[in-house]
Amino acid sequence: MKTSVMISQDLLNQVGLPEVLQSCHCRTSQGKRLKNSTRFFTNESRDDFLEEITAIARLVEMIKAKHSQVLEAQTQLSRLRELRGTFSRLEKGSLLDDTEFFELKGALTIFFRISRLKELMAAAGLHFQVTKDASTLLDPAGTGNPTFHIYSHYSPDLAGIRGRKRKLERDISEAKGNQRKVLLTQRTLVTAEEDKLEEQIRRQLGEKLKEWLPQMRHNAETCAILDFRLAKADLAVRWNATQPVAVDPSEPAILVDSRHPLIAGILQKRGMQFTPISITLKQGSTVLSGPNMGGKSVALKTIFLALLMTQLGYFPICEHLETPLYDFMAFESHQEGDLHWGLSSFGLECVQIRNHHRRSQKQQGLIMMDEPCRGTNPAEATAIVQALCKTYGKSSSTFFIATHYNVTPAAGIRFYQVRGIRPEVLAELPVPQTSRESELHEDLIRVRKIQNLMDYRFEEIEGSHQTPSGAIKIAELLGVDQVLLEEMIAAWQEDQWPNLD
Amino acid sequence: MNTHAVRPDIELLEITGLQHLQSVAIIGLSKNAGKTTCLNHIIAAWQASGQTRTLGLTSIGRDGEPRDILSDRPKPRIYIPAGTLIASAQEALKRSDALLEILELSNIRTALGEVVICRALSDGYVELAGPGSAEEIGVIADLLRFHEPDCLFIIDGALSRRSQAGSGISGSVILAVSADTSINPENLAEKTNFAVKILQAPELNQKDKDLLLNACKTNPQTRVVTVVGEERAMTMEIPSLVGYGKELAKKLTPGTRLFYLRGAITDQILSELLKEAHFSSLTLVVDDGTRILLKPEVVRKLRARDIDLAVLSPIDVRMVCLNPTRSNGLTLDSATMLEKMQSLLKIPVVDFGPVIM
Repeated sequence: MKTSVMISQDLLNQVGLPEVLQSCHCRTSQGKRLKNSTRFFTNESRDDFLEEITAIARLVEMIKAKHSQVLEAQTQLSRLRELRGTFSRLEKGSLLDDTEFFELKGALTIFFRISRLKELMAAAGLHFQVTKDASTLLDPAGTGNPTFHIYSHYSPDLAGIRGRKRKLERDISEAKGNQRKVLLTQRTLVTAEEDKLEEQIRRQLGEKLKEWLPQMRHNAETCAILDFRLAKADLAVRWNATQPVAVDPSEPAILVDSRHPLIAGILQKRGMQFTPISITLKQGSTVLSGPNMGGKSVALKTIFLALLMTQLGYFPICEHLETPLYDFMAFESHQEGDLHWGLSSFGLECVQIRNHHRRSQKQQGLIMMDEPCRGTNPAEATAIVQALCKTYGKSSSTFFIATHYNVTPAAGIRFYQVRGIRPEVLAELPVPQTSRESELHEDLIRVRKIQNLMDYRFEEIEGSHQTPSGAIKIAELLGVDQVLLEEMIAAWQEDQWPNLD
Repeated sequence: MNTHAVRPDIELLEITGLQHLQSVAIIGLSKNAGKTTCLNHIIAAWQASGQTRTLGLTSIGRDGEPRDILSDRPKPRIYIPAGTLIASAQEALKRSDALLEILELSNIRTALGEVVICRALSDGYVELAGPGSAEEIGVIADLLRFHEPDCLFIIDGALSRRSQAGSGISGSVILAVSADTSINPENLAEKTNFAVKILQAPELNQKDKDLLLNACKTNPQTRVVTVVGEERAMTMEIPSLVGYGKELAKKLTPGTRLFYLRGAITDQILSELLKEAHFSSLTLVVDDGTRILLKPEVVRKLRARDIDLAVLSPIDVRMVCLNPTRSNGLTLDSATMLEKMQSLLKIPVVDFGPVIM
């Protein structure tokens, strides 16, 4: 994933991917390893993606139907142990101990039991290789008992030695003093014979089991895939996520009612609701504008999360999502600079702009930027943003940017804006009368009031891109002093008049 | 009863009432206190008396190895009958010669490998190397009971692990004492008596217990709970009690009536607390008696401050097993020692002698 997804760890945490994926619980160490390897599906691996997604979709239906085979598979998987060490020792021809044979016997039983869950295995699109003969090696008497020891069935000699030992032990239990000591010594000698023969049997058993190593490895890997797919399906059910549709590379990404589960959860605790986000991202540039506090950053994170989850083979948390499988994905926001490189925040931003652009020349990517050049001279920043939108407008990549800078319409540039608060509602909001400094909780109440009036939905704007206003009004509503406020209004009007001339 | 002449079979069960217990821990007052010998006596008595319940054995740390790890002197080994369940680490199992059937792997790791649940299919020697913490002992108990719900679960202690044998897991304890603790019979009797009293510290009343446990439930990481008056419980999170005496002392306020410390309390911790004027007229609460690692003079100071000691999980010391032999091989007069100890202690004190294993 590292080379295909360009995002800082800090921003990835803000997007919430690690926390969201923490809720995807694999039961086996094999499944957890598969999950942590984070495969990024691209158009080249489209067939694998489709296989993965359709298998998860079938498992989702089985989970929703509370199919008994799901619970049985989950129970069996939770018993599967890490087998890499034992497989490796078996491969090297090392002498396995009884706990390792026990581990293999348990694993073979699990493979067999899961392989009998035909509906589930068909839904998961997986199959096990037959290892019945390997199981027989570890259960020579065919008792079906899950326990293990070096059985007397392996060798008549061993049975004979153990018979002698058992007799001695009976005698020991009844003997006292010196006689007991003598018998214990005799027992030690018989035990040494038993140990020697047991070791031979362990070696032979290991050699025979080694022949089954490819099948056992295949089955362990099958368990890993099944475990991960079941965990993804379970996550999809819990979060009411949807099966994504992979469209042709030239088609747009369409997200309908996308939700961010973590932010939605926080809002719910405050008695508020997350406004689902719908957008169409076509090849070229898409510009998102909107008022301050309009939720642009949250929207970008929500969209990136949904698209990234999709390309990692998870179900996105949307009503509907269709997307091309991008070759790479990049997301930039609020750069703090990199002390190690000695780069300022703008320097780092420039490096990333350069890198993404170069990559987009060769590959089809999704590049998202949240207010780039925010700390730059506005005139030059506007020029940079305009250039980015214009250049990507002609590209086969998808460039999605949230900005306050004015972008002039050009070929391949589409515009969205957050609806925000209707001007008449904003004008009617009571301005705080108190002259003293606001208390924190009062500020919070005002912020919530503004949030409640905000319409976070997107609307596509045809033609000219409107620079959003309302920032000064929000400053007024949050109790900025009158003198300072008047200066703001005066400066704003001065800035606007030349445009009216 | 002439305990010196007691037959190490039926009498042991009569004295301890083991056949009525679900679990028992053997705790040593010092290293080489004779815990393994005591365990071997229990096993022999269990067999001799024809008990039908299965024994389930484990140890906290390592036990039953043929030679002492530190001194390299020979040690008594544990000899079990067929049918016994054991929970022991992989490497320790390799040094056992009983035929062991693996029932389950516990997922509990130790320095000697994972703890494995086995059933002995033959008589034989075993080396026990169980988990290192009280919580893990609880897991092992559950695993053993899954296979034998009615087993007598015996936990064999190990060096410096006295503080972990309790923690509400095992209510009944057998204390093993050797002449290593003192060669002076009177001194040995006094030290043993003090240890028994501390182990058997009284249980806190149910209402206060609920108050403390609820405070911990809402804040599981807490190590300290102070209670002022009837309901106000204050909690404090620190990494451990050791090294935080001053911080603990600051939690004491006028009117503190319960001061619950989760962990072992040592002389060092108490010396900081005793500097605090508010550390008086209260009840100092710990999980169980094994968590009180205090010298007699410190306990006397507590008494002088009107501080009572109380526990959440009481321990019942069923018997003291005397080992009159010191680590250097010198054997002292068992009869004199027993006489002094029996006159001071209110519980049975016995010397079952060595067992041929």
